Amino acid sequence: MTRILSQPFISMGRGATLLAAGIGRWGMLTAETVRALRHVDVWLRLLVPQMARVGVDSVPIALFIALFTGIVLSLQASYTFTGAIPLYFVGVLVGKTMMLELGPVLTGLALSGRVGANIAAELGTMRVTEQIDALETLAYPPVAYLVVPRVLASIIMFPIVTALAIAVGIAAGWITAIQLLDMSTAEFVNGLTLFFLPFDVTYALIKATSFGFMVATIGCFFGFHTRGGAEGVGHSTTRAVVVSSMVILVLDAFWAVTLL
Amino acid sequence: MSIVIRDLHKAFDGKVVLDGFEVEARDGETLVILGGSGSGKSVTLKHVVGLLTPDKGQVEVDGEVVSDLRREELFVLRRKVGYVFQFAALFDSMSLADNVAMGLRRQSDMDRKEIEERVEECLRLVDLDGFGPRAPSELSGGQRKRAGIARAIATRPQYLLYDEPTTGLDPVTRAMIDQLILRMSSELGVTGIVITHDIDSAFRVADRFAMLHEGRCRFQGTPEEIRETDDPVVRGFIEGRPELLENAS
Amino acid sequence: MSRSKEALVGVVILASVIVVTFGTLWLQGVTLAATETEITAVFANVGVIRPGNPVKYRGVRVGRVREITVDPGGELVRVVARIQEDTPMPADAVAILAPESLFGDWQLEITPRDRFPEYRYAQPDDPDHLPGYAIPDISQLTATADRISADIEILTERVGIAFSEETARNVASLIDNVEEVTQRLSELVSQQAGAFTDVTGEIQEATQRIGEAAASARMSFDQVGETLSREELARILEDLAVVAENTREFSGDLDETGSELRGMAARADSTFARVNVLLAQVEAGDGTLGRLLQDPAIAMEVEGTLQELQLLLEDIRENPRRYLRLSIF
Repeated sequence: MTRILSQPFISMGRGATLLAAGIGRWGMLTAETVRALRHVDVWLRLLVPQMARVGVDSVPIALFIALFTGIVLSLQASYTFTGAIPLYFVGVLVGKTMMLELGPVLTGLALSGRVGANIAAELGTMRVTEQIDALETLAYPPVAYLVVPRVLASIIMFPIVTALAIAVGIAAGWITAIQLLDMSTAEFVNGLTLFFLPFDVTYALIKATSFGFMVATIGCFFGFHTRGGAEGVGHSTTRAVVVSSMVILVLDAFWAVTLL
Repeated sequence: MSIVIRDLHKAFDGKVVLDGFEVEARDGETLVILGGSGSGKSVTLKHVVGLLTPDKGQVEVDGEVVSDLRREELFVLRRKVGYVFQFAALFDSMSLADNVAMGLRRQSDMDRKEIEERVEECLRLVDLDGFGPRAPSELSGGQRKRAGIARAIATRPQYLLYDEPTTGLDPVTRAMIDQLILRMSSELGVTGIVITHDIDSAFRVADRFAMLHEGRCRFQGTPEEIRETDDPVVRGFIEGRPELLENAS
Repeated sequence: MSRSKEALVGVVILASVIVVTFGTLWLQGVTLAATETEITAVFANVGVIRPGNPVKYRGVRVGRVREITVDPGGELVRVVARIQEDTPMPADAVAILAPESLFGDWQLEITPRDRFPEYRYAQPDDPDHLPGYAIPDISQLTATADRISADIEILTERVGIAFSEETARNVASLIDNVEEVTQRLSELVSQQAGAFTDVTGEIQEATQRIGEAAASARMSFDQVGETLSREELARILEDLAVVAENTREFSGDLDETGSELRGMAARADSTFARVNVLLAQVEAGDGTLGRLLQDPAIAMEVEGTLQELQLLLEDIRENPRRYLRLSIF
């Protein structure tokens, strides 16, 4: 009886301990990544290829998402703003929402699926096939060789892809507004510029950069700590995507609280 | 010039794998460590290059205690030690030539041309000449193993560690790998540690034997000595008679 | 790693940098071609102006507000704006902050001081800075009108409740206040009327009629306490109906006096229209004012609101141009 009663608490305690241990190990890997930055000779050559994989290859999916988000935002804004509210508020809503929220977050989530999963699966496979050990024996620090270029590439490319996505989203909203909503370009642009602050752009880029950092470090973390064959790799990949998606949303709220 | 393993202890998540293992690989000889699957042979090997740190005890390579080395010193040490992984652990993302050149690019100050020459030489040594531009995924299991050896010898190490070099290969390829191991020892003069549970192969390459059983060194001696030993565990293992093992324990 | 991949990375980065840089500049309204200059104006307070709001000169957009900082002394707020270099600066230029539209977006207008000499401009310590004044928010006006409407609506809902002497007195004082407000309104209008010579006569006539009607309503209500007979009530209601009728007519007249007064007229109209509805409902009941009110508290509240309206009207009377120069509707 007491065992049944105490079981939930034991599980909770165990869960909390595992979570804390995971965060601690992630922190150690991140700290090691920072330290590994000094091995410039190791990671520099690998940075551009990783930037191509993280950034360039992710552009189509990010722009695709942004395109439809822009269209839908524009249509829904016009549906919401009936009567008393002037139509140029469609521009306000499309611009502000794309920049502050949907641009960075949707791009971040899409890239956590694409980039985070890719990193976790690749490093996980390298771990279980001893390729990471092989790097060590060939005197390559694995963190400098594998983690640093991926994390740096993500930090650099996430905001870049996000910026393009925001631009495409706003352009899609604008074209929708003039084609389907009988608004003029002047009206839409008036709304767009009305409440625009340069900080909006900074905010979006700060968010995107932090998402890039988290997605890459979490992907590397789960990849590095993969155990046991193909199943382990699958497990790590799933967890990397789930955890980085959750972290993106939490971080999104965190920035909203601290920066706005 | 030797590898000395002293009183090595290692446990994973409370499960004891090594429990005071002791063995020595002397200069120029090929030491074969026998042991069943999961007896901790690979774990021992990983301690030698510092991929794992011992719970207790130590590994000395050329008189240096591996676990006491700083990271940079460890990298220096690893130049002297080539590691042949069980499944070769070739980097899938690069060609065979790049795989072999990896160690050279970091651990030597050779220029591009010298590296190219050395890579070719190493590939020739393992009978893979002309395979340089291929990707690891295009190779057969035996070819991958040989490529792994080529990568391990590229930096001209004094020591070569083979993790189950013949496991999962057909008899002809196995014989080829054994010859390769012998060639490394005779032509390059390297000190080798081979871990295996392939008895035929072990007798072909071994100068000396050690048997790892239940985390400890059960037997150490020459091939002649191991053939004549009375220890039922060792006999059971080399003759493939599980009933002897059961009686012993 | 092929060269084309590297080039692609470069292209994507470059495209993104261009999009961010030019997009931000464009949305900020910076035109690279035209040269801009910076002006600073000081204010006692700045209402709801924000960086990015437009700067106008004679209604023409000439730039944007860039930065708002509180002076270290705490007495002044400094607003920095960038405007086109070729904007003509009046000799004695001042800056006025005012709503640009009803939706909360404000603007900074540069204008000569003698156009609005009556405002109390903040005095800059630097001769290069413009003195500035922020106009009180128009929402004060509309909010008050809204509240009155809501209160009267509550009153009408309370029909069917016993009518005490106290409530009768409250109603009487309510009418009293309506009368006074009407009077103030008419005073205000007669003040303003100077500007609209064509309709002066009509307005004066209208306000006079309101005055009369209100006076008669007031007389009627003085008797409420004494007698609650059906006949009396009928007369009171008739009088009230006349008040409402007149006020409506008054609103109509106001409506014609020009677009600048139309907003106020519309609000007055809606307020009085509600009074009318109230009266109609009283009449539709069994003819007893006893059904009008549930509790005296509501009448008190109405009175409070009316007092606020009075304060506002006083303000309008003192600074009419402050309100009337804005063409809101």
